Amino acid sequence: MLLGIDVGGTSTDGVLICDGCLEKSVKKQHRGDLTESILKVLDELLEGREAVKVQRLVISTTLVTNLLATRNGARTALILIPGRGLPFSFYRIAPDTYFLKGSIDFRGNITEETPQEDILAAIEDIKTKGIRHIAVAAKFSHRNRSLEQEVARAIRERCPEAMVTLGSETADRLNFPRRAATAYYSAMTAPQWNEFASCVEEAVRQRGLAAPVEILKADGGTMPLEVSRQRPLETAYSGPAASTMGAVALSPRRENAVMIDIGGTTSDIALLIEGEPLHASRGACIDGCFTHINALALRSMALGGDSALQAREGRLEISAKRLGPAACFGGPAPTVTDAFNCYHSLALGDAARSQAALAGLAASLHMAPQELAAAVVEQVLSRLQALIEGMFREWENEPAYKVWEIVHRRKFKLERLIGIGGAAEMIVPQLAKRMGVPFTVHRLSPVANALGAAVARPTLSLHLYADTQQKRFVIDQEGIEGTIPNPATFQLADAEALALEQLARLAEEKGAGCYAKESRVELAEQFNMIRGWSRVGKIFQVRVQIAPGLIKEFKGVGA
Amino acid sequence: MKPTGLLFFPAFDWAISPTHPEREERLLYTRDQIFEEGIMDLPQIREYQPRLASASDIARIHFCVPSIERLATEAHLVSAGGALVIGDAFMKGEIKNGFAIIRPPGHHAMTVAHGNRGFCNINNEAIMIEYLRRKYGLHRIAIVDTDVHHGDGTQEIFYHDPDVLFISFHQDGRTLYPGSGFVEELGWPPAWGTTINIPLAPYTTDEGILYAVDSLILPLLEEFQPELVINSAGQDNHYSDPLANMNFSAGGYAELNRRIAPHIAVLEGGYSVETALPYINLALIMAMAGIDSSNLREPDYERRAFRESPDNMERLKRIATLQLENFRRREEMQADLKKKHGDFFSTYRRIYYDTDNISENQEIRLRLCDRCCSYRVIDSAAAHAMGESYRVLCFSISLYSCPDCQQEAREAYRHSLERFLGHYDFIYLQDRAADEYLCFDCSGFEERGIGGRMPGEGED
Repeated sequence: MLLGIDVGGTSTDGVLICDGCLEKSVKKQHRGDLTESILKVLDELLEGREAVKVQRLVISTTLVTNLLATRNGARTALILIPGRGLPFSFYRIAPDTYFLKGSIDFRGNITEETPQEDILAAIEDIKTKGIRHIAVAAKFSHRNRSLEQEVARAIRERCPEAMVTLGSETADRLNFPRRAATAYYSAMTAPQWNEFASCVEEAVRQRGLAAPVEILKADGGTMPLEVSRQRPLETAYSGPAASTMGAVALSPRRENAVMIDIGGTTSDIALLIEGEPLHASRGACIDGCFTHINALALRSMALGGDSALQAREGRLEISAKRLGPAACFGGPAPTVTDAFNCYHSLALGDAARSQAALAGLAASLHMAPQELAAAVVEQVLSRLQALIEGMFREWENEPAYKVWEIVHRRKFKLERLIGIGGAAEMIVPQLAKRMGVPFTVHRLSPVANALGAAVARPTLSLHLYADTQQKRFVIDQEGIEGTIPNPATFQLADAEALALEQLARLAEEKGAGCYAKESRVELAEQFNMIRGWSRVGKIFQVRVQIAPGLIKEFKGVGA
Repeated sequence: MKPTGLLFFPAFDWAISPTHPEREERLLYTRDQIFEEGIMDLPQIREYQPRLASASDIARIHFCVPSIERLATEAHLVSAGGALVIGDAFMKGEIKNGFAIIRPPGHHAMTVAHGNRGFCNINNEAIMIEYLRRKYGLHRIAIVDTDVHHGDGTQEIFYHDPDVLFISFHQDGRTLYPGSGFVEELGWPPAWGTTINIPLAPYTTDEGILYAVDSLILPLLEEFQPELVINSAGQDNHYSDPLANMNFSAGGYAELNRRIAPHIAVLEGGYSVETALPYINLALIMAMAGIDSSNLREPDYERRAFRESPDNMERLKRIATLQLENFRRREEMQADLKKKHGDFFSTYRRIYYDTDNISENQEIRLRLCDRCCSYRVIDSAAAHAMGESYRVLCFSISLYSCPDCQQEAREAYRHSLERFLGHYDFIYLQDRAADEYLCFDCSGFEERGIGGRMPGEGED
């Protein structure tokens, strides 16, 4: 038995899958707090079943997303060590920010130490203000974490009750402002997330579940509940990831596809490249700050089945607002659904009501009702198509820094549309026809989000930076660093092997050992370092990952 | 406020040779620095991606011998294409200014290109300038070459053109490659005084260079009133550069760009890949984007405590006075020289290609016209290192030439095909006025067009 629970905007959905069949699905409107909704759905799913037979439970929740949106996280101090570069005034991330001296360069050399008295002064001030959560981030700390660690050590000594989050523990890649924001928002959301995690742990224990509990991340993969305590921010924006993984589960071909989720008033689009969801190149944006959170690339448009049709200055407008359900379902005004209902004779609800509502609006626009329906259908399809094609172009024009990549620019060749969401059945077939590709709107698409959570596999990635002149390597996860025993003969293949070996070890620790074999190299760079006219060393950068995908236990749910 | 355009193309898969200064590693630390700073996320910055320059973009400037394909690799086409993308973005009003951090560089490449000189095959700035003039109808353009090496290629390409003001400061040619760029190099008769060289003594500091900017470069720009100012942005005046001997700093580069305020900057040389380039490139971006750069210094800058010598300041003062005078009497001199030379001005040059070990002899004939910038005829013979040798005849018609000169030049090209085939391997016509580029292969007895014409506005 596999369980998946996804907390959405208005309801919490759950599915129970057994032997490749969807045995049960539950939908509960939110009432009370999130944890309560989740547990209610869990109880309903488990009703009449043996909890011990559950093999896995995955939860996708909006807790952190909501904390960020309502700015309800814990008050957090941000200690920055930016060194030379942009003016400090550019780092407007947190109200309680402290700047310390100190500087690290791009190769991880410390070019200026942080004075101990400055560290202590900052800590004293933070203590006086009563702040208990502290994030610390230094420029290039992913190449050398010692300055951050020195600050952490001082905090532990002087202020042992404080919770400390380090930039080098939360983010791997280049980009100091994103690293600082990631550390800050992680620290800020950690206390409430930990409370939630403890609550779920307790509830699961009480119900006799022996299965591992996993949390869905923004990148479309899962992580163990225990691990999420260190990385709460990664649970933000998991909703679209759940839907997208659901689309993957419902159309599990390795195709270049578009997942299109058309709901009441919005449409979300994600790209699948050979069956794998595409990640945003910039990382999730929180409160105007980019972060290093790996989220799916997603485009949204305020357009859905319930979008109201109206006349504005004598012209048709598809409003971004919802006035109620479609007229055919008893709503007050004509909607996109009513237009499709009439134009394609879909016989949804009371079709005569669709007709009547459209006729009223058509008259005020001096159009025939059928003409109006055609205009709405055309506008909806062309706007969705433009959104989709804009996304292809963006992917095709992603920054490239090699001659080969510019000369051989990639091209997105669409092979399928996968529709989910309430209005998909009505719109996606027409859109697919227009774009000349096949489509899938699976009968289970209404629960695709919870299904996606249930069957998403763990993801894990790491970044290795190795410098043979300095004879050392650093890995962005868990403070792993070491010396290179054979710098003179160390080659790119050795760097890749080292990264994969470390990934396999971490995967084993995090209960994802069975997917380690499927990890692959995402980026492999090597540079000869020449000083004078001879080679003094090499720099390697390797990123390896276990990409988002479906768990081995899932064998599809049939047509 | 419009953003600053930034095109970063480090060509991480291209090198002249594995240990050459122009190698994959060159912009590695620059990449690390600007990406770690999060520059691309700033609202002040808009990132652009390069495209490939077309054959006609190159043929508009160069006579590539034996062919564009042999001279310009894909890396060169992408690098030049990067400059074109930034040029387009600026002319279309998308950005307030733009910086193309591209390699391979180009400012030593001349009109006739037999091979690589000073790490350059094709001239990125010149290709961009002639493209922008063609596409957007620009006339007056100023180039400030801030590379430590004299921008002899760019100088030569516009040496006959009074509408392009070429200013170069560089380490004195008696002490550094390419050994040119002296004050008396002022331009051929029709363009006398629109080439201004500022040879600097070795070890000149921020103070000296900024003095040259204030006392000479800024007045020149003010009086010339260009529609476009381009910084041919070499970064090898830096105190840590391994190939030169100057004492300029990243902060100096930032201040220089703030004062000159170029519309477009294009990266040229600079080979202190670890201790200078990351800081200079960042400084330049910040200066162009209007970001305060007082927090940006090389880690070892304070220890250096450079001081400018009074002797050098005195020397700079004399150069500034001399060159301002030369510039101000340019029109009078141009008229006198044209009168003196009559219909044609001709001269001989020897050009050495250090990277590819080629020596070239040229005879240049300029048609002098009172109404226009007319045309050039270049007869070039070059012996390549491995025994290959080529002799070519090149006709170049200026974009804004008068119809009479255009016709005369086209006739001269046709005439040469009838009479001189036996003397040459190739005879070329570079007709910028018609945007048509022809190459006649004298052994195969075949004329072919190079590239297509530029699409009209709105077509691309």
